[in-house]
Amino acid sequence: MATLASERQGRPTDHESFLVHKRFRWLWVALALSVAATAGYFLADVKPRPNGGSWYGYVLGTVGLLLIVWLALLGVRKRAMTEGRWSLKAWTSAHVYLGLSLTVIATLHAGFQLGWNVHTLAYALMMLVIASGLYGITVYARLPEKLSNNRAEMSKRQMIESLAAIDRQLDAAAQPLARAESDRVIAALEQDAFRAGVIARLANAYRGCRTARALRGFSADRELDAHETRVVALLEKRAAQLAQIRRQMQLRAQLDVWLYLHIPATVALLGALTAHVVSVFFYW
Amino acid sequence: MSFRIRQIDVTATGREIVRERTAEGPALSIGRSAENTIAIPDLAVEQHHLTVTADPSGALVFEAAGNLGFTLDGRTRLNETVTDGGAELVIGAYRIDFAAGPDGEIEVTVRRREEREGGKGDGGHGFTLASALPAKRPLAWALLGAIFLAFLIVPIWSNLTRERVAPDPDKSGAVAMDAGWSTGALSTAHADLQDNCEACHAQPFVAVRDDTCLSCHEKIGDHAAQPRLSLARGPMSWGDAVQRDIADVFHKPGAGACTDCHTEHEGEGRMKPPAQQFCADCHGTMDKRLTGTRLANAGDFGARHPGFQAAVLTAPGQAKPQRVPLSARPKEFNGLKFPHDLHLRPGGGAARMAARLGSAAGYGGTMDCADCHRPTAGGARFKPVRMEQDCGSCHSLVFDRAGGNFRTLPHGDIGKMRAALAGADRAPRRPLASGRRRPGDYAPGGIYYGNFAPPQRASVPLASRMLSVGGVCAECHYPGGTGVQPVIQPKRYMAHGWFDHADHKKPKCATCHAAPRSSTSADVLLPDIKTCRTCHLGEAAAKPKVASSCAMCHSFHPRGSQPPARMGADRNKVAIKGPAIRKSP
Repeated sequence: MATLASERQGRPTDHESFLVHKRFRWLWVALALSVAATAGYFLADVKPRPNGGSWYGYVLGTVGLLLIVWLALLGVRKRAMTEGRWSLKAWTSAHVYLGLSLTVIATLHAGFQLGWNVHTLAYALMMLVIASGLYGITVYARLPEKLSNNRAEMSKRQMIESLAAIDRQLDAAAQPLARAESDRVIAALEQDAFRAGVIARLANAYRGCRTARALRGFSADRELDAHETRVVALLEKRAAQLAQIRRQMQLRAQLDVWLYLHIPATVALLGALTAHVVSVFFYW
Repeated sequence: MSFRIRQIDVTATGREIVRERTAEGPALSIGRSAENTIAIPDLAVEQHHLTVTADPSGALVFEAAGNLGFTLDGRTRLNETVTDGGAELVIGAYRIDFAAGPDGEIEVTVRRREEREGGKGDGGHGFTLASALPAKRPLAWALLGAIFLAFLIVPIWSNLTRERVAPDPDKSGAVAMDAGWSTGALSTAHADLQDNCEACHAQPFVAVRDDTCLSCHEKIGDHAAQPRLSLARGPMSWGDAVQRDIADVFHKPGAGACTDCHTEHEGEGRMKPPAQQFCADCHGTMDKRLTGTRLANAGDFGARHPGFQAAVLTAPGQAKPQRVPLSARPKEFNGLKFPHDLHLRPGGGAARMAARLGSAAGYGGTMDCADCHRPTAGGARFKPVRMEQDCGSCHSLVFDRAGGNFRTLPHGDIGKMRAALAGADRAPRRPLASGRRRPGDYAPGGIYYGNFAPPQRASVPLASRMLSVGGVCAECHYPGGTGVQPVIQPKRYMAHGWFDHADHKKPKCATCHAAPRSSTSADVLLPDIKTCRTCHLGEAAAKPKVASSCAMCHSFHPRGSQPPARMGADRNKVAIKGPAIRKSP
């Protein structure tokens, strides 16, 4: 147990979010950075107007560039897990808060001058990355609980097996049915629950759901015999299981979708930033 | 109540062996032990794992014997009641299907489970968005490639391979897609160069050089001659020195480069005039570095600007004007006797004369400045006063009457004046006596007529009399030489500062020029700096004062008698090559 005790030293056993890491240490650092940049903006005597090409503009531009490169390195850093002072949690906390401080630094660097050019493209991409990151923080804070509630102590594997179990029973129960009714069941069984597009997943809207269509078909029939009643009960079970799976997919999609903006936009930002720096000095 | 149990085993060759039996009674026990109704040979299953009871209503009650659960329809349970007649129980490696059979029998099928019945993999992948979207990496690479192509590769390649030509604002640039590099619109003066980046940015990674500016602005003059210009340069602050050192490392031109003061890409409209500080850096403490300079130190107009000095002639015959401070109330000699107060006094003789002449002669009720002082075309200055036009309605130049005509003296040319007056001297003598006539041939017209009257006063020529000290010319002029001292009306008193009367129409003339109280034309009626400062203060002045930086009145580049460069009227005139390079606006 001695090794366990030593391992625990300096490593809190309670869960602490990267947002509150070390009593918001990086929030304060980022705030201090933003306040200093703003104060400098008003104190620096830059003529004729604040500009990215003034001495203060170069200072803020250098700080912003280094920050962006460092922030982008989270992708490299998170693949190398370590602990201690530069634990991944500390790094992520700094990533979030320093990333937010970029809104101030880059805006002041630009001197509020925007246009249709590569410089503003870099700025817009940066803002897109930050906005998507903000969304990411929000969903990471709110959705895991919902995800857990929706799972109801079932693993994803169990959800799929549950659906498979229902399907096998449906297949068996539908044997006595007539052609038209059988086709409804076949259609429902053939449909892959996971063949859904981004929008369907995010909106949790499945217009072409054949299980629902089969249920509508049976409810339109006037009289149901015992076999059909059994099939309808199983279809309802299937629909309920599908609903859980789809809600799970929706929450996962909401959790994942920002990264599809955040990551490619970051890479595009690094490109636009390179073009920004090169072009400024190419046409110095 | 009975259970029909079908046990399906699969041989090594894949053949299915089905054994059927019937278990009577309402309950069915399942476990590893052979005593159970259904024995499951799996170590993961307990000896007595669960009991299934069929109650008379047809419901099936599943109940675990121990605290290990079972999987019913995919869900892990300790007990569960199924009412719809069918269920799928998974326990260990076995699957047991329950279905309602004929005659109230319950069909139970026991079979070994196949591996991964729920599908491929761990089944979790389908939940993630990655299964519905292309991967992030190809998207990122595509965006990166597009940005590099559009904003780096195309402009740089076309810049490096372009044909080198002299900058020409009338042509568009040869570099493709470099508009995306522009950091902002050019000022009005350079708007034609908007699409011609390489006209100014001639060399890659080389800051804009003075030579490039001078290739168009070739007539622009330098502020002062070297080495005085460099000597006068102000001491740099610590921060400026560091900036300069860094700029030198990167071979940025300066100090004193065009771009130090003139910055571009600041947006459309007039190029911003250089800040007051650019001038004050050197002029604020220039006497320390440029010993012997005649220029006083100058900074903020409201606080640190020396008093005005006017270039005036102070004595008759002086050829070169002399700069004298206005604060000392200097006297000038311009060759004219003209008391402004006499002419401007309401109710005075001049005023009454003007009233009598009335509007037909161009006068209002009294005399005012505009009666004699007429503005130049742009309104910036005033034309010289012309005697015939501006004084002549009262100070008549008529000297003779011949028949019904009045003869007017030519003014301004002594020779012509003397010639005209010599003609007047030939007037006939009057008869010695009037009312009486001589008789016969002695009468006028007779051959013995003789006029013995003294000659009219022409023995001293009229011109000489007029030009003498007590003569009519001397009312306004000082005698000198062969005639009078020339009258000199300077165009400008201050050659290095600009003042535009057109911009100052609102106040009355007398607000700045103390003419109504001036009894002699020796008074230099220019306002001192105090007068200007009632409205104009330095660059930082707040309203209602007029914020006035150096560039309002002064031009860094010498512009002679032209006003400081301003956009608008002067936009295409800032010492550029000539009309060929610029079309008129």
